[in-house]
Amino acid sequence: MDLAFTPEEEAFRQEVRAWVRANLPQETAHKVHNALRQTREDMQNWAKILGKKGWLTYAWPKQFGGPGWNAVQKHLFEEECALAGAPRIVPFGPVMVAPVIMAFGNAEQQQRFLPGIASGEVWWSQGYSEPGSGSDLASLKTRAERVGNKYIVNGQKTWTTLGQFGEWIFCLVRTSNEGKPQTGISFLLIDMKSPGVTVRPIKLLDGECEVNEVWFDNVEVPAENLIGEENKGWTYAKHLLAHERTNIADVNRAKRELERLKRIAKAEGVYDDVRFRDEIAKLEVDVVALEMLVLRVLSAEKSGKQSLDIAGLLKIRGSEMQQRYTELMMLAGGPYSLPFIQEAMEAGWQGDQIGALHCAPLAGSYFNMRKTTIYGGSNEVQRNIVAQTVLG
Amino acid sequence: MDFNFSDDQEQLRDAVRKWVDKGYDFERRRSIVAHGGFSREAYTELAELGLTGLYIPEALGGLGMGPVEGMVVMEELGRGIVLEPLTQALIAGAMLSYYAGPDLQEAWCAKVAGGEALVVLAAQERKARYDLSVCNTVAQKQGNGWTLSGAKSVVPAGDLADAFIVPAKADGKLALFLVERTASGVTTHGYLTQDGSRGAELKLSGAPAALLTLKGQEALEHATDIGIAALCAEAVGVMDKTLAITVDYMNTRKQFGVVISSFQSLRHRVADMKMQLELGRSMSYYASLKLNAPTDERRAAMSRAKFQIGNSMRFVGQQAVQLHGGIGVTDEYIVSHYFKKLTQMEMSFGDTLHHLGEVSSRMQDTAGVFA
Repeated sequence: MDLAFTPEEEAFRQEVRAWVRANLPQETAHKVHNALRQTREDMQNWAKILGKKGWLTYAWPKQFGGPGWNAVQKHLFEEECALAGAPRIVPFGPVMVAPVIMAFGNAEQQQRFLPGIASGEVWWSQGYSEPGSGSDLASLKTRAERVGNKYIVNGQKTWTTLGQFGEWIFCLVRTSNEGKPQTGISFLLIDMKSPGVTVRPIKLLDGECEVNEVWFDNVEVPAENLIGEENKGWTYAKHLLAHERTNIADVNRAKRELERLKRIAKAEGVYDDVRFRDEIAKLEVDVVALEMLVLRVLSAEKSGKQSLDIAGLLKIRGSEMQQRYTELMMLAGGPYSLPFIQEAMEAGWQGDQIGALHCAPLAGSYFNMRKTTIYGGSNEVQRNIVAQTVLG
Repeated sequence: MDFNFSDDQEQLRDAVRKWVDKGYDFERRRSIVAHGGFSREAYTELAELGLTGLYIPEALGGLGMGPVEGMVVMEELGRGIVLEPLTQALIAGAMLSYYAGPDLQEAWCAKVAGGEALVVLAAQERKARYDLSVCNTVAQKQGNGWTLSGAKSVVPAGDLADAFIVPAKADGKLALFLVERTASGVTTHGYLTQDGSRGAELKLSGAPAALLTLKGQEALEHATDIGIAALCAEAVGVMDKTLAITVDYMNTRKQFGVVISSFQSLRHRVADMKMQLELGRSMSYYASLKLNAPTDERRAAMSRAKFQIGNSMRFVGQQAVQLHGGIGVTDEYIVSHYFKKLTQMEMSFGDTLHHLGEVSSRMQDTAGVFA
């Protein structure tokens, strides 16, 4: 047992740190550190910079052009990116669909789709949830009917994150109504420029359009865009879920945001208020405990042991903490968290500032983070899963 | 960064688990509580396993092991809610080995390691609560030795111990002394504590004492941190078993014609208990792996760990009773004893609010496992 990273791991961290410092655009880091609005360009530029270095695919195995890093190296990379203020990697391409294409796609599909994902050129979206299918995802109804060498797709997806920027979308579609709902689902890649695809942004409680509805009206999709076998899509999607690893806890970002919380609390004069300070102290312990939990999972992965039964806890805990630090930041802002001026969330805004600059985005971040305990399998569904492992 | 146990550590765990399972069942424990909350016989059995000498170097008659071994042992003792205070042997062993002069080491280390001497920390004072710097016990130099006067509270197995490690003020500065229970001027008054183990009030009236170290504050903080790390590990064992007992019960007990483990509101409670258990286990690892860190880092780490463990213990204990229903509040059924153990541990070596205050006052700009 040893808490410290090995000298090799520390050297790796320094290498990543130096590179990130030298290559992350400062303007982007400023926005991330201050929770200001990020544009599509902010996100994609960083993806392309990483892509050029070969690190957008940091979790990919060597045979597909990834660096072949182990679990600890991936964690260190994520941590250095988060602490430096890098935008989060938009996961739909490199983290979510790529592993499915690698595992279940044919060689032609791999050659066709993986390079655009690896370079950050092609923006991918996820088409899973539907208006009637949230936690009960397997009840999804979007139909794909095989006609000759095409599928005709009809239906509606929703909560498609950043889908307004999407060029391709990977969808779970119904290809059969026989048997259990899970057995009639297929995994289809769809060009979002196809006729019949309509994207409508959904304005959320923070005033931003982070998610979208996506309609499919007789959309023709070449049959060669089917991943694996027809009606096996549910299995592939579960494989994808298994690839959502420790990153889901987002503990590195929590460490960065805890620092920001302290800065804001100091500036607003509540850091020395014992009642407020103790709430920060509780969060600090939560962050350390979550980091230890993550490190335990990483240690198990690194030594090739079977995945611990604690991995399921990471999403619950991580999401609760994201909500808590945004809540405490908003409370630290106090009355100056009330003004809700959309323009003030733009970097470099020159208008009349109400309160301190750091107050402008606090309420918006708090509102936005309500999603974390809902998406990716609601925390109530996660508790069902944890309970299953404990109670049988 | 590696959280795997070595083969030797796993063997140590197996040996202790075997003793707990075979040698320390609930009936024996119940009988020990009925006879005062401490069994010299059981303590000797721990010594025969080598556990009382865990932190004493081999040259001084112990096993010379470290915090991870201590953690492994305490987890297993926790599973059996063992009453005999092995934590005190770990503290005494470390204090004597790190801080005492050769004469005192010669006289006591082998006896502590062998279990012939039970030496316990007698630090609590009426006005101190959890503040380690508050001490009204006074030491006076007398010839080549010292005498101590003052009073200490809730000393583990205090009226049955062979000697005490006592913080006292010498020339206004905190120092640690060793006082034998049979010495003149020493009186004790024993009683049961809430978990069924034994405590005692200790009065010192000019009692002869041997100086253990003049670095009293440093040593007492160290002793407390050894206690916290051991307690965290023990708590993990207690919580682990508490959850297992609760799960067994829920999968057996039927109401409305079905096992109660089929009800979602109860299942979610179990998921929350598992969360608290694993956060606690994570912080127990953290505490033990920080036990040899520089003082400030070590102290901060122990407060973080004890705060988490305190919250975990309270939640797991209270929910275990609740999920058992009526049987959970009986003395006859085992789970209430686990609950009481958890309750007492939350209030030992500084309670949860105390350690929240410590974390709060020690906060820096950055924080994490390595900061």
